[in-house]
Amino acid sequence: MTEAEADQELFLRIHSGDEQAFVSLYRKRQGSIFRFALHMTGSETAAEDVTQDVFLAIMRDTGYDPSRGTISAYLFGIARKLVLRHVERGRSDALLESELVQGVLPELAASENPLAELTHRERIEALQRAVTALPRRYREVVVLCDLEELDYADAAAVLRCPIGTVRSRLHRARELLFAKLNQERQRPPAAMKPARCAT
Amino acid sequence: MSGEEMDQLTAGLKAVAADLRRVEAPGRVEERLVAAFRERQTPVVPRVPEPRRAWWVPVAAWATAAAAGTALTVFLTRDHPAVPVRQPARSMMQLAVADPGADAEVISADDSGFILLPNAESISPNEEVDVVRVEVPRSAIVALGLPLTEETATEKVTADIALGADGLAHAVRILE
Repeated sequence: MTEAEADQELFLRIHSGDEQAFVSLYRKRQGSIFRFALHMTGSETAAEDVTQDVFLAIMRDTGYDPSRGTISAYLFGIARKLVLRHVERGRSDALLESELVQGVLPELAASENPLAELTHRERIEALQRAVTALPRRYREVVVLCDLEELDYADAAAVLRCPIGTVRSRLHRARELLFAKLNQERQRPPAAMKPARCAT
Repeated sequence: MSGEEMDQLTAGLKAVAADLRRVEAPGRVEERLVAAFRERQTPVVPRVPEPRRAWWVPVAAWATAAAAGTALTVFLTRDHPAVPVRQPARSMMQLAVADPGADAEVISADDSGFILLPNAESISPNEEVDVVRVEVPRSAIVALGLPLTEETATEKVTADIALGADGLAHAVRILE
Protein backbone atom coordinates (compact mmCIF):
# COMPACT_ATOMS: atom_id res chain seq x y z
CA MET A 1 0.00 0.00 0.00
CA THR A 2 1.43 3.38 -0.99
CA GLU A 3 1.52 6.32 1.36
CA ALA A 4 -1.24 8.03 -0.62
CA GLU A 5 -3.44 4.94 -0.35
CA ALA A 6 -2.74 4.69 3.38
CA ASP A 7 -3.79 8.32 3.79
CA GLN A 8 -6.92 7.68 1.79
CA GLU A 9 -7.85 4.74 3.99
CA LEU A 10 -7.31 6.88 7.09
CA PHE A 11 -9.53 9.54 5.57
CA LEU A 12 -12.33 7.02 4.98
CA ARG A 13 -12.00 5.68 8.51
CA ILE A 14 -12.15 9.22 9.90
CA HIS A 15 -15.52 9.67 8.26
CA SER A 16 -16.80 6.47 9.78
CA GLY A 17 -15.97 7.92 13.21
CA ASP A 18 -12.55 6.35 13.84
CA GLU A 19 -10.73 8.66 16.26
CA GLN A 20 -7.49 6.71 16.04
CA ALA A 21 -7.44 7.20 12.26
CA PHE A 22 -7.90 10.92 12.77
CA VAL A 23 -5.03 11.08 15.25
CA SER A 24 -2.81 9.04 12.91
CA LEU A 25 -3.47 11.30 9.94
CA TYR A 26 -3.00 14.39 12.08
CA ARG A 27 0.35 13.23 13.47
CA LYS A 28 1.52 12.24 10.02
CA ARG A 29 0.63 15.50 8.27
CA GLN A 30 0.44 18.27 10.86
CA GLY A 31 4.12 19.15 10.71
CA SER A 32 4.23 19.86 7.00
CA ILE A 33 0.96 21.81 7.12
CA PHE A 34 2.19 23.85 10.09
CA ARG A 35 5.54 24.62 8.41
CA PHE A 36 3.85 25.56 5.14
CA ALA A 37 1.54 27.94 6.96
CA LEU A 38 4.46 29.30 8.97
CA HIS A 39 6.48 30.01 5.84
CA MET A 40 3.54 31.63 4.13
CA THR A 41 2.21 33.73 7.01
CA GLY A 42 5.37 34.28 9.03
CA SER A 43 3.40 33.89 12.24
CA GLU A 44 3.39 30.93 14.59
CA THR A 45 -0.04 31.91 15.88
CA ALA A 46 -1.46 32.06 12.37
CA ALA A 47 0.22 28.77 11.46
CA GLU A 48 -1.33 27.16 14.52
CA ASP A 49 -4.77 28.47 13.56
CA VAL A 50 -4.37 27.31 9.97
CA THR A 51 -3.27 23.82 11.04
CA GLN A 52 -6.21 23.51 13.37
CA ASP A 53 -8.68 24.77 10.75
CA VAL A 54 -7.33 22.39 8.10
CA PHE A 55 -8.01 19.37 10.28
CA LEU A 56 -11.35 20.72 11.44
CA ALA A 57 -12.26 21.08 7.77
CA ILE A 58 -11.45 17.48 6.93
CA MET A 59 -13.42 16.39 9.98
CA ARG A 60 -16.48 18.03 8.46
CA ASP A 61 -15.79 17.69 4.75
CA THR A 62 -16.35 14.47 2.86
CA GLY A 63 -15.81 16.09 -0.53
CA TYR A 64 -12.32 14.76 -1.22
CA ASP A 65 -11.90 13.65 -4.83
CA PRO A 66 -8.99 11.19 -5.32
CA SER A 67 -8.83 12.00 -9.03
CA ARG A 68 -7.69 15.53 -8.16
CA GLY A 69 -4.67 14.58 -6.05
CA THR A 70 -3.54 12.88 -2.90
CA ILE A 71 -4.83 13.55 0.62
CA SER A 72 -1.60 15.40 1.25
CA ALA A 73 -2.30 17.74 -1.68
CA TYR A 74 -5.86 18.11 -0.47
CA LEU A 75 -4.65 19.22 2.98
CA PHE A 76 -2.14 21.65 1.50
CA GLY A 77 -4.89 23.02 -0.76
CA ILE A 78 -7.09 23.79 2.24
CA ALA A 79 -4.11 25.28 4.09
CA ARG A 80 -3.29 27.50 1.12
CA LYS A 81 -6.83 28.86 1.01
CA LEU A 82 -6.72 29.62 4.72
CA VAL A 83 -3.33 31.29 4.36
CA LEU A 84 -4.61 33.49 1.52
CA ARG A 85 -7.59 34.44 3.67
CA HIS A 86 -5.24 35.30 6.51
CA VAL A 87 -3.04 37.45 4.25
CA GLU A 88 -6.10 39.19 2.79
CA ARG A 89 -7.29 40.02 6.30
CA GLY A 90 -4.29 42.28 6.60
CA ARG A 91 -1.61 40.21 8.24
CA SER A 92 1.10 40.76 5.59
CA ASP A 93 4.43 39.04 5.33
CA ALA A 94 6.03 41.76 7.46
CA LEU A 95 6.46 39.46 10.42
CA LEU A 96 8.22 36.76 8.51
CA GLU A 97 11.77 37.51 9.58
CA SER A 98 10.97 38.42 13.11
CA GLU A 99 9.01 35.28 13.96
CA LEU A 100 10.06 32.64 11.51
CA VAL A 101 13.82 33.04 11.36
CA GLN A 102 14.52 34.19 14.87
CA GLY A 103 11.81 32.51 16.86
CA VAL A 104 11.08 29.14 15.38
CA LEU A 105 14.39 27.75 14.22
CA PRO A 106 15.69 25.08 16.54
CA GLU A 107 18.61 26.12 18.67
CA LEU A 108 22.08 24.84 17.91
CA ALA A 109 22.82 21.51 19.41
CA ALA A 110 26.06 20.93 21.29
CA SER A 111 28.70 20.15 18.67
CA GLU A 112 32.31 18.97 18.53
CA ASN A 113 33.04 21.67 15.96
CA PRO A 114 31.02 24.71 16.94
CA LEU A 115 32.61 26.98 14.33
CA ALA A 116 31.72 24.67 11.47
CA GLU A 117 28.27 24.31 12.95
CA LEU A 118 27.94 28.06 13.17
CA THR A 119 28.91 28.47 9.52
CA HIS A 120 26.41 25.81 8.53
CA ARG A 121 23.82 27.54 10.63
CA GLU A 122 24.51 30.89 9.06
CA ARG A 123 24.15 29.43 5.61
CA ILE A 124 20.83 27.87 6.50
CA GLU A 125 19.56 31.09 8.02
CA ALA A 126 20.69 33.07 4.99
CA LEU A 127 18.87 30.68 2.69
CA GLN A 128 15.82 30.79 4.85
CA ARG A 129 15.82 34.58 4.76
CA ALA A 130 16.08 34.40 0.99
CA VAL A 131 13.07 32.04 0.83
CA THR A 132 11.15 34.38 3.08
CA ALA A 133 11.94 37.34 0.83
CA LEU A 134 10.53 35.65 -2.26
CA PRO A 135 7.23 36.91 -3.67
CA ARG A 136 4.37 34.73 -2.45
CA ARG A 137 3.77 32.86 -5.74
CA TYR A 138 7.42 31.77 -5.85
CA ARG A 139 7.72 31.20 -2.14
CA GLU A 140 4.82 28.76 -2.05
CA VAL A 141 6.25 26.64 -4.85
CA VAL A 142 9.67 26.48 -3.16
CA VAL A 143 8.09 25.55 0.17
CA LEU A 144 5.91 22.87 -1.37
CA CYS A 145 8.43 21.29 -3.76
CA ASP A 146 11.82 21.93 -2.15
CA LEU A 147 11.10 22.10 1.56
CA GLU A 148 8.08 19.79 1.91
CA GLU A 149 9.08 17.62 -1.05
CA LEU A 150 5.73 17.39 -2.80
CA ASP A 151 5.91 16.04 -6.34
CA TYR A 152 5.01 18.36 -9.19
CA ALA A 153 1.61 16.77 -9.76
CA ASP A 154 0.56 17.33 -6.15
CA ALA A 155 1.99 20.85 -6.17
CA ALA A 156 -0.02 21.57 -9.32
CA ALA A 157 -3.16 20.27 -7.57
CA VAL A 158 -2.49 22.52 -4.56
CA LEU A 159 -1.75 25.60 -6.66
CA ARG A 160 -4.50 24.78 -9.17
CA CYS A 161 -2.26 25.25 -12.16
CA PRO A 162 -0.65 23.00 -14.80
CA ILE A 163 2.50 21.04 -13.95
CA GLY A 164 4.43 23.10 -16.51
CA THR A 165 3.60 26.23 -14.56
CA VAL A 166 4.90 24.61 -11.37
CA ARG A 167 8.18 23.77 -13.12
CA SER A 168 8.64 27.24 -14.57
CA ARG A 169 7.78 28.97 -11.28
CA LEU A 170 10.18 26.74 -9.40
CA HIS A 171 12.95 27.47 -11.88
CA ARG A 172 12.33 31.20 -11.56
CA ALA A 173 12.16 30.95 -7.77
CA ARG A 174 15.55 29.23 -7.60
CA GLU A 175 17.09 31.92 -9.79
CA LEU A 176 15.72 34.57 -7.45
CA LEU A 177 17.05 32.68 -4.44
CA PHE A 178 20.47 32.39 -5.96
CA ALA A 179 20.56 36.08 -6.80
CA LYS A 180 19.50 36.94 -3.25
CA LEU A 181 22.22 34.74 -1.72
CA ASN A 182 24.84 36.35 -3.98
CA GLN A 183 23.72 39.77 -2.81
CA GLU A 184 24.17 38.69 0.80
CA ARG A 185 27.64 37.32 0.14
CA GLN A 186 28.78 40.57 -1.44
CA ARG A 187 27.40 42.68 1.42
CA PRO A 188 30.06 43.78 3.97
CA PRO A 189 29.87 41.64 7.11
CA ALA A 190 27.78 43.08 9.89
CA ALA A 191 28.71 42.96 13.55
CA MET A 192 28.67 39.36 14.69
CA LYS A 193 25.59 38.38 16.65
CA PRO A 194 25.95 36.06 19.59
CA ALA A 195 25.02 32.52 18.64
CA ARG A 196 22.35 30.65 20.56
CA CYS A 197 23.86 27.51 21.93
CA ALA A 198 22.15 24.82 23.90
CA THR A 199 24.30 23.31 26.57
CA MET B 1 22.89 29.78 -12.91
CA SER B 2 25.22 26.90 -13.66
CA GLY B 3 24.53 23.24 -12.89
CA GLU B 4 26.98 23.30 -10.00
CA GLU B 5 25.36 26.37 -8.51
CA MET B 6 21.98 24.72 -8.86
CA ASP B 7 23.28 21.64 -7.00
CA GLN B 8 24.61 23.85 -4.21
CA LEU B 9 21.30 25.60 -3.92
CA THR B 10 19.37 22.30 -3.89
CA ALA B 11 21.68 20.96 -1.18
CA GLY B 12 21.17 24.14 0.82
CA LEU B 13 17.38 23.86 0.52
CA LYS B 14 17.56 20.24 1.66
CA ALA B 15 19.53 21.35 4.67
CA VAL B 16 16.89 23.98 5.46
CA ALA B 17 14.16 21.36 5.06
CA ALA B 18 16.00 18.97 7.37
CA ASP B 19 16.59 21.73 9.87
CA LEU B 20 12.92 22.67 9.94
CA ARG B 21 11.68 19.09 10.10
CA ARG B 22 11.51 19.37 13.87
CA VAL B 23 9.19 22.35 13.70
CA GLU B 24 5.66 21.15 14.41
CA ALA B 25 2.32 22.44 15.61
CA PRO B 26 2.08 22.77 19.40
CA GLY B 27 0.55 19.82 21.26
CA ARG B 28 -2.49 21.86 22.28
CA VAL B 29 -3.70 21.83 18.66
CA GLU B 30 -3.98 18.04 18.73
CA GLU B 31 -5.77 18.18 22.07
CA ARG B 32 -8.30 20.67 20.75
CA LEU B 33 -8.86 18.70 17.57
CA VAL B 34 -9.37 15.39 19.36
CA ALA B 35 -11.88 17.09 21.66
CA ALA B 36 -13.68 18.50 18.63
CA PHE B 37 -13.66 15.08 16.97
CA ARG B 38 -15.19 13.44 20.05
CA GLU B 39 -17.80 16.15 20.28
CA ARG B 40 -18.79 15.55 16.68
CA GLN B 41 -19.11 11.81 17.21
CA THR B 42 -21.32 12.16 20.28
CA PRO B 43 -23.61 15.09 19.67
CA VAL B 44 -24.87 16.52 22.92
CA VAL B 45 -28.64 16.47 23.23
CA PRO B 46 -29.65 19.54 25.17
CA ARG B 47 -31.62 18.60 28.28
CA VAL B 48 -34.95 20.28 28.55
CA PRO B 49 -35.44 21.19 32.19
CA GLU B 50 -38.61 19.75 33.64
CA PRO B 51 -41.10 22.42 34.67
CA ARG B 52 -41.32 22.76 38.43
CA ARG B 53 -44.55 21.42 39.79
CA ALA B 54 -46.25 23.36 42.52
CA TRP B 55 -47.48 21.33 45.49
CA TRP B 56 -51.06 22.40 44.93
CA VAL B 57 -51.34 20.99 41.39
CA PRO B 58 -51.95 17.34 42.39
CA VAL B 59 -54.19 18.49 45.27
CA ALA B 60 -56.31 20.56 42.90
CA ALA B 61 -56.47 17.69 40.40
CA TRP B 62 -57.74 15.26 43.06
CA ALA B 63 -60.26 17.81 44.38
CA THR B 64 -61.61 18.42 40.88
CA ALA B 65 -61.93 14.69 40.27
CA ALA B 66 -63.79 14.21 43.56
CA ALA B 67 -66.19 17.06 42.80
CA ALA B 68 -66.90 15.71 39.34
CA GLY B 69 -67.57 12.24 40.79
CA THR B 70 -70.00 13.65 43.36
CA ALA B 71 -71.84 15.67 40.73
CA LEU B 72 -72.15 12.63 38.50
CA THR B 73 -73.50 10.50 41.33
CA VAL B 74 -76.11 13.11 42.24
CA PHE B 75 -77.13 13.49 38.63
CA LEU B 76 -77.54 9.75 38.08
CA THR B 77 -79.51 9.12 41.26
CA ARG B 78 -81.97 11.99 40.73
CA ASP B 79 -85.52 11.33 39.48
CA HIS B 80 -85.41 12.45 35.88
CA PRO B 81 -88.60 13.43 34.15
CA ALA B 82 -87.13 12.77 30.77
CA VAL B 83 -84.65 10.25 29.41
CA PRO B 84 -82.89 11.42 26.31
CA VAL B 85 -82.63 8.74 23.69
CA ARG B 86 -80.34 9.15 20.74
CA GLN B 87 -82.09 7.91 17.62
CA PRO B 88 -80.46 7.08 14.33
CA ALA B 89 -80.84 9.80 11.79
CA ARG B 90 -82.73 7.55 9.37
CA SER B 91 -86.22 8.22 10.80
CA MET B 92 -85.35 11.89 11.20
CA MET B 93 -84.66 12.09 7.52
CA GLN B 94 -88.20 11.02 7.06
CA LEU B 95 -89.27 13.92 9.30
CA ALA B 96 -87.34 16.21 7.06
CA VAL B 97 -89.36 15.33 3.99
CA ALA B 98 -92.64 16.13 5.71
CA ASP B 99 -94.76 18.91 4.41
CA PRO B 100 -94.18 21.85 6.74
CA GLY B 101 -97.58 23.28 6.09
CA ALA B 102 -99.50 20.25 7.32
CA ASP B 103 -100.25 20.95 10.99
CA ALA B 104 -100.71 18.02 13.31
CA GLU B 105 -100.25 15.64 10.47
CA VAL B 106 -98.83 12.19 10.93
CA ILE B 107 -95.67 12.49 8.93
CA SER B 108 -94.03 9.16 9.18
CA ALA B 109 -94.05 7.09 6.08
CA ASP B 110 -92.99 4.01 8.02
CA ASP B 111 -95.40 4.51 10.87
CA SER B 112 -92.82 5.94 13.24
CA GLY B 113 -95.72 7.86 14.73
CA PHE B 114 -94.15 11.34 14.87
CA ILE B 115 -96.52 14.25 14.52
CA LEU B 116 -95.19 17.58 13.41
CA LEU B 117 -95.91 20.22 16.03
CA PRO B 118 -98.08 23.17 15.08
CA ASN B 119 -96.06 26.08 13.68
CA ALA B 120 -92.80 24.08 13.98
CA GLU B 121 -90.35 24.23 11.14
CA SER B 122 -89.64 21.06 9.30
CA ILE B 123 -86.26 19.43 9.89
CA SER B 124 -83.87 19.94 7.05
CA PRO B 125 -82.19 16.96 5.38
CA ASN B 126 -79.08 15.65 7.20
CA GLU B 127 -79.92 17.70 10.27
CA GLU B 128 -78.96 15.95 13.45
CA VAL B 129 -81.96 15.35 15.67
CA ASP B 130 -82.20 14.37 19.30
CA VAL B 131 -85.16 12.37 20.55
CA VAL B 132 -86.06 12.88 24.19
CA ARG B 133 -88.49 10.64 26.00
CA VAL B 134 -90.73 12.48 28.47
CA GLU B 135 -93.84 12.05 30.56
CA VAL B 136 -96.32 14.85 30.13
CA PRO B 137 -99.92 15.44 31.30
CA ARG B 138 -102.39 14.34 28.67
CA SER B 139 -103.89 17.86 28.74
CA ALA B 140 -100.58 19.31 27.57
CA ILE B 141 -100.79 17.61 24.26
CA VAL B 142 -104.47 17.78 23.65
CA ALA B 143 -103.71 20.07 20.74
CA LEU B 144 -102.31 17.08 18.88
CA GLY B 145 -105.72 15.47 18.84
CA LEU B 146 -105.29 13.12 21.74
CA PRO B 147 -108.69 12.09 23.22
CA LEU B 148 -109.25 13.69 26.61
CA THR B 149 -111.85 13.19 29.27
CA GLU B 150 -112.22 14.74 32.68
CA GLU B 151 -110.95 11.58 34.34
CA THR B 152 -107.93 11.22 32.15
CA ALA B 153 -106.90 14.89 32.05
CA THR B 154 -104.33 14.52 34.80
CA GLU B 155 -102.92 11.28 33.52
CA LYS B 156 -99.44 11.32 32.24
CA VAL B 157 -98.54 9.94 28.90
CA THR B 158 -95.13 8.93 27.65
CA ALA B 159 -94.00 10.64 24.47
CA ASP B 160 -90.89 11.08 22.36
CA ILE B 161 -90.04 14.62 21.37
CA ALA B 162 -87.84 15.25 18.35
CA LEU B 163 -85.48 18.17 18.98
CA GLY B 164 -83.80 19.84 16.04
CA ALA B 165 -80.23 21.13 15.85
CA ASP B 166 -81.53 24.46 17.15
CA GLY B 167 -82.71 22.73 20.33
CA LEU B 168 -86.44 23.33 19.63
CA ALA B 169 -89.07 20.62 19.55
CA HIS B 170 -90.23 19.82 16.04
CA ALA B 171 -92.34 16.69 16.40
CA VAL B 172 -93.90 14.44 18.98
CA ARG B 173 -94.63 10.75 19.09
CA ILE B 174 -97.16 9.51 21.64
CA LEU B 175 -96.12 6.16 23.05
CA GLU B 176 -99.18 5.52 25.23
